[in-house]
Amino acid sequence: MSDALELLRHAPCGYRDGSTPAAEPTALAALALLGANRFGDAQPHLQWLSAHQAHDGCVPPLGDLNQPGWPTPLAIVAFAAANHDNATATVNFDTEAAKRYLLSISGKTLEPSPQYGHNGQLVGWPWVDGTHSWQEPTATAVLALKSIGLWDHPRTREGVRLLIDRLLVTGGCNYGNTVVLGQKLRPHVEPTGIALVAIAGEKSDDPRVDRSVQYLLGALNNETTPISLSYGLLGLAAHDHFPDQASNWLEAAFRHVKYKQPSPLDVALLVLAAQGSECPLITLTKSPSVAAVT
Amino acid sequence: MPTTIEASKPESCEAKNGGKFSRRTLFAATGAAAAGVVALNAAKQWLSPKQPVFVAKNQRYDGPLRQTISDGLLATGFQPAHFKGKRVLLKPNLVEPTRLAPQLTTHPAVVVAAAAVFRDWGAQVTVGEAPGHVRDTEMALVESGMKAALADADLPFADLNYENVEWTSNRGGASKLAGFYFPHSVAKADFIVSLPKMKTHHWVGATLAMKNLYGTIPGIVYGWPKNVLHHAGIPQTVYDINASLPKTIAIIDAILCMEGDGPIMGSPKQMGLILVGPNPTAVDATAARIMNLRPDQISYLDLAADRLGPIDDRKIEQRGESWRELVSPFTILDAPHLRSLPADPTVLISKISRATTVTA
Repeated sequence: MSDALELLRHAPCGYRDGSTPAAEPTALAALALLGANRFGDAQPHLQWLSAHQAHDGCVPPLGDLNQPGWPTPLAIVAFAAANHDNATATVNFDTEAAKRYLLSISGKTLEPSPQYGHNGQLVGWPWVDGTHSWQEPTATAVLALKSIGLWDHPRTREGVRLLIDRLLVTGGCNYGNTVVLGQKLRPHVEPTGIALVAIAGEKSDDPRVDRSVQYLLGALNNETTPISLSYGLLGLAAHDHFPDQASNWLEAAFRHVKYKQPSPLDVALLVLAAQGSECPLITLTKSPSVAAVT
Repeated sequence: MPTTIEASKPESCEAKNGGKFSRRTLFAATGAAAAGVVALNAAKQWLSPKQPVFVAKNQRYDGPLRQTISDGLLATGFQPAHFKGKRVLLKPNLVEPTRLAPQLTTHPAVVVAAAAVFRDWGAQVTVGEAPGHVRDTEMALVESGMKAALADADLPFADLNYENVEWTSNRGGASKLAGFYFPHSVAKADFIVSLPKMKTHHWVGATLAMKNLYGTIPGIVYGWPKNVLHHAGIPQTVYDINASLPKTIAIIDAILCMEGDGPIMGSPKQMGLILVGPNPTAVDATAARIMNLRPDQISYLDLAADRLGPIDDRKIEQRGESWRELVSPFTILDAPHLRSLPADPTVLISKISRATTVTA
């Protein structure tokens, strides 16, 4: 773990070691460092995110782009974690502006159609403003709103409904659709994991939630790639599961990542997954048994 | 460089499905500059000689693909000297891979064989892809078998979803997008080789060399899926991307193909073919005919016809095998927007195929 944390100390992070600074790996590295109580090491990451934030609150993905704003929720969670640990003394991230920006973004709805299996009327969040909502940006937005205490905000509640609506009937989720033109799609580990983190603690008796946990338990193995493995384990940890082999898988994945040119995104996610249920992504966002999902 | 991604208003479902466009109405709405470029391209098409398309049959993934691809490139007008010292980006289709459905993605053997040819001819070869649905690109490489193959061949991979991007104006003008953010590896390439799988597509009929180039567009800017493009119209953005890229070449993996509910959930169909050509529009039109689909009913091909290349068989010079002897009808979904696709009206159109439904 300490080796991994050392790899995350250099801020800002790109998707590859030495590549252009990017908001997603930088925010997740900050979260991983904060989760390991490395508050000082997280400061440069937080400072970069703060400087990278646009006036409207948006945090775009790359240093030289001004949109889209899909990484904004990750920055909100990182600063929520820092605030929780009083680790933001030197940083001026405008969480209120980021929240306003996030709430200004909504997915374009679809009229009910036999072509699609999901409820296209649920708004959720898109990857890019002006397009339809998808599972992962909705999950990160829900996590961000929960991390700043907005568990019962109407957008949070609707986001949770969307995430459950987009689970496949047999468990797990695709990147966003469930059924297209009558055909059920395949589940994938990464979107399933992050969706399960976002709906952790929700009072839902929808059987697809438990089936999704079971899907992850069956899908993860020692060949699962670092990003999918990490999100898969986080999804399970958020629902109080931690497979016996998880530590071995994480260790092997880290050796693999370290062997090649280390990707800060891979390393940050592996660290967060190793933190399990103590990971700030979970501790800050696991719902305190809010109203039942209808 | 613009300050927005400039997504246009979403098209209607009919428009998205490509069934209700005419080129006249589309291009009437575009700017004068784009219209001028298009008119010039059309004039060039009419004045230029026939576009060559090479088809090889009896191909296998464990066969001499390197020789086949080399023969195809030479037969369609390329010379090794064209590639000496050039940057060649090979773009396979790795849309949503699972090792349980090899008909989904370009076979690694085809990619490695193509890379060997261009390397032999002195090119700097990179393999690049921006998988359209999955965020975990390494997973896509592993599930498609590409990761091990690239390592064995010592081929570099460019993750086009997460690279730095460069702005390029939209040189097509069919959609309302002002331009595209292309990944660095795409913008700097001298040649982009589209290496698709021959597949049906449940919205636009078929996905071949032109549609495969959606995978040059980075998810980091356009999302997973690249919904900005969908909302701007699939046929129009396929056309625009092809018009805006550097020089493109098509090599289609039509050995194990996908029919039915493509491009993700369809069934395997063995064809044993490789198609090669310098003009993706002409190669796609020939591939569509082999699939028993009418090229003029595939909306992006209809848009591209005589602008980016010919789809009229009289304007295509066949090299290698004759496509007529290779036609083997692909089943397609029984959906209203796809019913005009088959060239042979007697071909039965399948119900949704569930043969390849897989849950992990």
